Amino acid sequence: MGKQMVLSEAVHKRFGRLEVLQGIDLEVAPKEVMCLIGPSGSGKSTFLRCINHLEKIDAGRLWVDGELVGYRQQGDKLYELGDKEVCRKRSEIGMVFQRFNLFPHMSALENVIEAPVRVKGENEQVAVERGRAMLDRVGLADKIDAYPNQLSGGQQQRVAIARALAMQPKLMLFDEPTSALDPELVGDVLDVMRQLALDGMTMVVVTHEMGFAREVGDSLVFMDSGIIVEAGKPRDMLANPQHERTKLFLSKVL
Amino acid sequence: MNVAASGAGAAKIPPEAIKAIPVRHPWRWVSAVVVLAVFASVVYQIATAPRLKWDVVGEWLFHQSILNGVRVTVELTIIAMVIGVVLGALLAVMRLSANPVVSTVSWVYIWFFRGTPVLVQLFFWYNLQLVLPHISVGIPFTPAVWQADTLPLISPFLASILGLGLNEAAYMAEIVRAGIISVEQGQTEAAQALGMTRAQVMRRIVLPQAMRVIIPPTGNETISMLKTSSLAYITTVQELFRSQELIAAFNYRIVELLIVASVWYLSMTSVLTFGQYYLERYFARGSARQLPPTPLQRFRHILFQGHAPPPFPPADPLPVYPPRRDDSGQGM
Ligand SMILES: Nc1ncnc2c1ncn2[C@@H]1O[C@H](COP(=O)(O)OP(=O)(O)OP(=O)(O)O)[C@@H](O)[C@H]1O
Ligand SMILES: [Mg+2]
Repeated sequence: MGKQMVLSEAVHKRFGRLEVLQGIDLEVAPKEVMCLIGPSGSGKSTFLRCINHLEKIDAGRLWVDGELVGYRQQGDKLYELGDKEVCRKRSEIGMVFQRFNLFPHMSALENVIEAPVRVKGENEQVAVERGRAMLDRVGLADKIDAYPNQLSGGQQQRVAIARALAMQPKLMLFDEPTSALDPELVGDVLDVMRQLALDGMTMVVVTHEMGFAREVGDSLVFMDSGIIVEAGKPRDMLANPQHERTKLFLSKVL
Repeated sequence: MNVAASGAGAAKIPPEAIKAIPVRHPWRWVSAVVVLAVFASVVYQIATAPRLKWDVVGEWLFHQSILNGVRVTVELTIIAMVIGVVLGALLAVMRLSANPVVSTVSWVYIWFFRGTPVLVQLFFWYNLQLVLPHISVGIPFTPAVWQADTLPLISPFLASILGLGLNEAAYMAEIVRAGIISVEQGQTEAAQALGMTRAQVMRRIVLPQAMRVIIPPTGNETISMLKTSSLAYITTVQELFRSQELIAAFNYRIVELLIVASVWYLSMTSVLTFGQYYLERYFARGSARQLPPTPLQRFRHILFQGHAPPPFPPADPLPVYPPRRDDSGQGM
């Protein structure tokens, strides 16, 4: 448990009667880019949300950077973490959503500096400085004062990435970051993510972009109905899937 | 094939500005004349009503006791609305609370105060001392921490404030709640993922966006409160309506004094309407691509262009992007 960024052991999650995650075991090493694929409803989003405790897991154990998610262990007893502790841990994990979820009443720069200032209590000057640098990094230096509805989908998603990066997270979660984009805008977002991977960010990416998974991913995990069916090196798995379900899924998306 | 054909066709049309004779709208003129004629006749009859003494209206319009009444009406409106908004916001948050006791208490409050006429509530507070001569604060079944006689404590002014404010809170609660639930769930999620606490998410992300939905009906409530406050005259508080009534009671110029009161009510609601407009503009930031014109801009436009501007100007300085493709059913 020492050296993994994410460690998941037999993680279960239920919504009422529906068992959405039925024992997920996986490890993500620091600087690793793990791509998560699988059919709709297989529990990919739910698993990502468990990692930063937007959902509570029902069974199993989940660690991020060596610390239990949502709980503190003393002896063999588990204590639920208070709101403050949960928030602090979330602030160390960046998350990017399919539908961007930018704050529409704030400009791009305000979106980016909101959390550093309010959550980390960073000096506003410092936050603005870094906010500009982050927006520059995602290629939007000229859109600092634009409101989200004045930006294209691809630009919004890049602001959302800058917003997450401004918190200087140790782990980034991407939930289908390009699925809501028009095809010609997908490339810009993927370029930013590719650069982020080169810079050594640890990333868990739910995606349908097999090209990205093949080129950028260090590992590929195929999920179906709440379990991991197959995992391995992206190139091997995409070229030569072992399981029937993986073959079927890949034949549909490739 | 098709493209080539239409391309060739397009080439034949000379690229000049179109100079066509505009379509005439004779019925627009007819209807305008009819409406103006009816309006003018009504105004003329009232203005020249033989027994209506306009000089009496002028005489009382700025009389000290009327001005005092105006002041009390404004005070009642402001204080009742402040109570309404603050208590309403609290009730709305309570109503959305995960704690069933808290949300039920809020529900019962709203049920009760919306379900009884505000006139009844005003009478109730005014007559509270009939059933409750002393008011005490403390833990039930233990000696009171604080106690006072009801009668001097609940003055006519306080009775009016309580009647109007507590009633308003029930309506504001529903308005605020509608505003809060109008904000997309994804906003809360994104804010939480950044590490913001519940209170921060509410204050910094949800409420500012809810404002866009909350402000217009709150403006209407304030305008409505200005007029509803006249019901407080039954508590003997000397607001505008009671002030004019006291004067009319001895000089019998009933209609003239009603006109005096109406002029004041109208001017005050007009000012509020104007203020509401700018408030709405402010909170529309980031939701409309371009803000609608201000009343002043509209007026200028009508003056110089001869017709009203469209509510949202078509000229868009910013690029318009096609609507987002969103093919995930529920994309959580
Ligand atoms: N809050 C919730 N309450 C009830 N059921 C839920 C909730 N969130 C997700 N589910 C259900 O859990 C299952 C897995 O959902 P999840 O969003 O994790 O799937 P996914 O793999 O991300 O699918 P997609 O590719 O469509 O995004 C679905 O059947 C969904 O209906
Ligand atoms: Mg999903």
